[in-house]
Amino acid sequence: MNIGFEEIENRIKAQLASYLESSGHPELEAHGEITGSSNLVSDFTLDSFQVMEFLMALEESFDIMIDVNNLSNAHTVNDLAKVVQGLLNE
Amino acid sequence: MALLDKFETAAAIRDQLSYGGQDPTTVEIERIISPTEGLVKGRHTILAGTNNYLGLTFDPDCVETGKKAIGEQGTGTTGSRMANGSFAAHRVLERDLADFYQMPYGMVFSTGYAANLGVLTALLKPDDMVLLDSDAHASLYDGCQMSGARVFRFRHNSLESLEKRLQRLAEKAQDCLIITEGMYSVLGDTAPLAEIVELKNRYGALLLVDEAHSLGVYGERGSGVAELQGVLNDVDFVVGTFSKSLGAMGGFCVSPHPELDLIRYVSRPFIFTASSSPSIVASTTEALRQLIARPELRETLWRNANRLYEALTSHGFHLGPEVSPVVAVRLGDKERAIPFWNHLLEAGVYTNLMIPPASPDGFSYIRCSVSAAHSVEQIESIIEAFAGLKNTN
Repeated sequence: MNIGFEEIENRIKAQLASYLESSGHPELEAHGEITGSSNLVSDFTLDSFQVMEFLMALEESFDIMIDVNNLSNAHTVNDLAKVVQGLLNE
Repeated sequence: MALLDKFETAAAIRDQLSYGGQDPTTVEIERIISPTEGLVKGRHTILAGTNNYLGLTFDPDCVETGKKAIGEQGTGTTGSRMANGSFAAHRVLERDLADFYQMPYGMVFSTGYAANLGVLTALLKPDDMVLLDSDAHASLYDGCQMSGARVFRFRHNSLESLEKRLQRLAEKAQDCLIITEGMYSVLGDTAPLAEIVELKNRYGALLLVDEAHSLGVYGERGSGVAELQGVLNDVDFVVGTFSKSLGAMGGFCVSPHPELDLIRYVSRPFIFTASSSPSIVASTTEALRQLIARPELRETLWRNANRLYEALTSHGFHLGPEVSPVVAVRLGDKERAIPFWNHLLEAGVYTNLMIPPASPDGFSYIRCSVSAAHSVEQIESIIEAFAGLKNTN
């Protein structure tokens, strides 16, 4: 799939905003805009279950499979975009 | 102090759990009276959250066998089986478990957690593929993580999600291990193992099923959900625990694959852990005998489970998706669940509090585990306690 990095990151941002809204997280408003450096856990207080839920939604959206053993360094939207890009290029 | 700063998060969790009264993790059962009753804060309390499904912890034969083993073999093994040797009783229990599952190979571990770590870290290497049910127990996640394998989750009990991943793996599906549980511990729902077996056979994968909560509960012989669904012969590895229906502590794996015997040589959680003490091995061996010889225990267990599930449903509670000895009552958010749990304890009923992220769907639950040893009166008391709190906030 030929998708540029910026588009991947924008799709992740949009999906995160949608997830935060649907799961009733008030932090989005307090945090303001989601950026590439937004941290899923510290900025939006997603717990481990919610992070996993969000990742599964990303898998379905991009039609990829994310190795949960390969996420230890993926904390921000930008980190996730790199993981997704790597999987799309496999 | 930076090293210790991380505990601020743990302190916040503790404070959160204390909201509404007692922190559930600090409950002390001052005296155990029976498999289903203890003294908590000096009050007689029904134990409805112990996973003691068959109520065998006080079975006279299990107790006597354990006592006898201490007298004859001592209090402990003082080391690992690799270093100190196996006691004959360890081997006997392994053979009994293998015979029970009608599989040629069996192996015991010191805990259920160690069994999952021990099997998965030996079975998987980096770049092996795992398809793991998203609601799988932490010990299964941890074993996969320690192995370094590539771990992909599929939606809980979703055959569509599992098959999509198998298709994506293409020929690599043949090197893939699918991991599920028999009955899932929080909501008490069961895996569609017959269909999962059909998929694993079609794509050439292997299947590991954790029957920790289903041993003693499901199937005519009581071996678990795979037996109930008629697919036990197609399961490659069954893992389980002695700390629930068998009333002791420890774990096991049985398999038709001779490689299970080789796991002993490469499994660090097996090699570097002290082996189970003689009393534990002896009482577990006897409990397995009781599980096989007394199917009436399962009948009573299911009668109690059905009664509790139906009564709580009729009182308007939202429960887990199917009747099982795990009856999970959904209470929405933790601000309602934590005080509710405290009120139940004050009413003399001990249950388990499950709040996110430990609960599987983001809701908070009060989880009851039913026992064959619960009397009819105790089940009615549990129902009455829930009903009395129905409209509390």
